[in-house]
Amino acid sequence: MRGTAFSAAFSCAYAWALATNHPLFLYYPLHGELRWGTQAAHGSASGGPAMAWYGIVATASLIGALVAVCMPRRLVLTMAPYLWLFPLGAMVLCAFCVGRFV
Amino acid sequence: MLPTLLLTAHLLVGVALLGAVTHQSVGLLRPPSIRSHRFIARYAKVDHTAFTASIAVLFGLSVSLGGLIYPTYRLHVRMPIEESFAWWPIGVFELKEHFGGIGIGLLPGYICAWRSRAGSHVGLTLVLAFIVWWNFLVGHVVNNFRGLP
Repeated sequence: MRGTAFSAAFSCAYAWALATNHPLFLYYPLHGELRWGTQAAHGSASGGPAMAWYGIVATASLIGALVAVCMPRRLVLTMAPYLWLFPLGAMVLCAFCVGRFV
Repeated sequence: MLPTLLLTAHLLVGVALLGAVTHQSVGLLRPPSIRSHRFIARYAKVDHTAFTASIAVLFGLSVSLGGLIYPTYRLHVRMPIEESFAWWPIGVFELKEHFGGIGIGLLPGYICAWRSRAGSHVGLTLVLAFIVWWNFLVGHVVNNFRGLP
């Protein structure tokens, strides 16, 4: 049951973290640096590109784990048949956020 | 050399995952009226519940391998594509990343749904199958557009 709650919360949290730019950390692959939140690397002009994906997955995992522990069992049982709608909704929101490239 | 090896492993795991998730999806969608000697009936006849654990492990492995190659892609593939103002490969690859991330979070729910048959296992399997097919095709197309060094 906790897996169901985790997946639902993870999907929502992932879409939220992407849409509102809330990665737990940023990774700068040029120098292999990690920075909390959306902090820029030291000397950000030469720091190279920042990667938010790992941080977004971490944010979503953290929120998903918290919700999975706290969510009442009855609510999880009610939600379970509709679980597939959560990732689908998150994917649509991701497509909307990425729309700037197309 | 290491990114090429990782990319090849990523591809091989992707092929295995594509086969497993397609098998499971076809097994779920097969109309019961289809004749048993037809290819599609024989293809879907296998016990599709047996694929759940393999799909979860392969998906996790595939995204982990992708995550290891990702910094190389960001520096040596995406930046030159950006400089050539070709935005669509970047856009479709961004979707691949996000769908992969959402797919990782979906796995615990997918396993629970198949264990309890809560009703969402069909929808979750189809969503996962869409993610796997999208990621496989996009990875292939973007690699053809500009591969890893």
